[in-house]
Amino acid sequence: MIRSDNGYFGEFGGRFVPEILLPALTELEDLFFGLRDDPEFWQEFVTLCQEFSGRPTPLTPLRRLSKQLGGAQIWLKREDLNHSGAHKINNVLGQGLLVQRMGKQRVIAETGAGQHGLATAIMAARLGLEATIYMGAEDIERQYSNVFWMRQLGSDVVGVTTGAQTLKEALDEALRDWAASVETTHYVLGTACGPAPFPELVSYFQSIISDEIKEQSQRQMGRLPDEIVACVGGGSNAIGAFAAFLETPEVALIGIEAGGTSFEDGQHSVRLSHNTGETGIAQGYKTLFLQNDDGQLGDTHSIAAGLDYVGVSPILAYLSQQGRVIPESATDDEVTEAFSLLMKTEGIIPALESAHGLAGGFKRAKQMRPEQNVVINLSGRGDKDIFNIARAFPQREWTEFLQREAARSTELLAQKGGH
Amino acid sequence: MFPAQYDDLQIMSHAVVGFPSLEENEKAIAGLAEAGVKLIELQVPFSDPVADGHTLVNACYEALKHGGSVQATLDLAQRVCARHPEVTFILMSYLNPLYRFGLEELFKQAAAAGIKGMIVPDWPVEEIEPWLPQLDALGLAPILMVTPNTAPDRVKKITRASRGMIYVVSRMGVTGHETHWGEKFQNYITEIRKHTDLPLAVGFGVRTADDLNALSGKAEVAAFCSQYIEWQRDDGSDVAADKMKTIIEAIA
Repeated sequence: MIRSDNGYFGEFGGRFVPEILLPALTELEDLFFGLRDDPEFWQEFVTLCQEFSGRPTPLTPLRRLSKQLGGAQIWLKREDLNHSGAHKINNVLGQGLLVQRMGKQRVIAETGAGQHGLATAIMAARLGLEATIYMGAEDIERQYSNVFWMRQLGSDVVGVTTGAQTLKEALDEALRDWAASVETTHYVLGTACGPAPFPELVSYFQSIISDEIKEQSQRQMGRLPDEIVACVGGGSNAIGAFAAFLETPEVALIGIEAGGTSFEDGQHSVRLSHNTGETGIAQGYKTLFLQNDDGQLGDTHSIAAGLDYVGVSPILAYLSQQGRVIPESATDDEVTEAFSLLMKTEGIIPALESAHGLAGGFKRAKQMRPEQNVVINLSGRGDKDIFNIARAFPQREWTEFLQREAARSTELLAQKGGH
Repeated sequence: MFPAQYDDLQIMSHAVVGFPSLEENEKAIAGLAEAGVKLIELQVPFSDPVADGHTLVNACYEALKHGGSVQATLDLAQRVCARHPEVTFILMSYLNPLYRFGLEELFKQAAAAGIKGMIVPDWPVEEIEPWLPQLDALGLAPILMVTPNTAPDRVKKITRASRGMIYVVSRMGVTGHETHWGEKFQNYITEIRKHTDLPLAVGFGVRTADDLNALSGKAEVAAFCSQYIEWQRDDGSDVAADKMKTIIEAIA
């Protein structure tokens, strides 16, 4: 289990928040520390994931693709098959158990791609809680289908229009809400970032992924995999996939960041590899941030909204510094190529975020031997990316359909007098 | 200097360095000094100001486009501290720009420029404590925040580490919205005074002459910031200074 040293992982982590948020963080920490070693609590969490989210998710061999690439055997950990379509729900269901114990009636969350927001909206609906989801206005445009579902589920989705209008600003805005509402509201932070105890707490719930990988690989491969590859935005799916293997050095752990369009400032979200991130303290914690010499956080870019983030989990910053996790990156173009390859060869539609893991994992697998095994964490499914993919592969047919659909929906709205 | 305990209410106001421009900052500060403002926060603009409401968030965003930075703040401080010796200048910043500059170097340069105090909302008391001997030697006062939900033992810890004055966050939330100054607020103030002899600066939601009247006799300093920045934004620095003058005269 990942344990901090008083909130720190090496030099990273900590709790740098306005005083007003401190009581809620210590309350959460006390509760979490009291529960995390209790096997009954873990079992309650696992049972909930089984009953509600379809766990354990399968470990799927990619036989055709592995043969085609001619290297190691590639396996996908199918987090895309979770209810809500991504690993995000693991953490959210876990935090839901904590919310119930704290007796709070309202939850807030930040979201980038919308998967964490969607998972939070689902949890809130199921537990009868009020939910407000903060999402960058830019991301709302990129991930409208998730916004649609969050609203249908009864959550209030608030578009954040400050700064670059992406995940970073959504997180800032959630913190501002929390400063006013902290006594009645729980902040369901969606990734292994932010002030202590969130990095540790989110990793704890997400570690269910690597627990399963460990057991499934023993059963299906007859041994542990040689490498585990995961995309890294904030880092929760990667930590989740790595956690059970940290003390097993023969399993290489690879994190793939969003290489965007180039390594120029503002065109990527690479913080760990290439020395682009530098130590900073913001958004409640200390980690490697993309920032300028004046300590202003930088702009980021990725084709995948969920990886478009300026900081990174302090746990991954530490593990990467220690050499335990190897950071690499994949460009937008490599990602769309890997996306297409998986879809056409194996019939699986990946999220663009997860397709970064695919691009990095395929590249590595090609360099390996056929008796070796690579597990790629397929953190989410791609249905939500229909508009982005349509843009990456433009087709007249799709555009014409959108025009007809827009006309139909306008007409319907006029008839029903909706607004 | 900082007021003494139970002095009459003084007004603290605000400049976001680079908002609306670096040149305008100097004129605006002169206007505030002229209006009778006794303490002025020089805010280093930051990309992610999590304790601030939208007025200051947007001002930061604009300020960054117009050259606001740690260095620009130190440069401005040097000029305005010399020009307005009757005003106490306080550096307000989020931690990261200061951290990137180098804390030790920053403290030295800020003190040398004439800055008397520092407000850093995301810098918790535990992280400040190790710096206290150095800050005391430089005469740079860390002004720490107490909030309505701060537990009594923590109020004790914070007031012990704080210097110059205590920043009393009047209510839950971020800057820029109104506050009610009822009995609950009075009890909150009374509770803090049990732990400290330092003067209290009350901020968050101080927006009108009524707010100032309500604070008169309860606190030594009222932080009149977001509303001033809104005046500056909407009407320009001259009109904003006139409005400030009117409000200060009204409570005198």
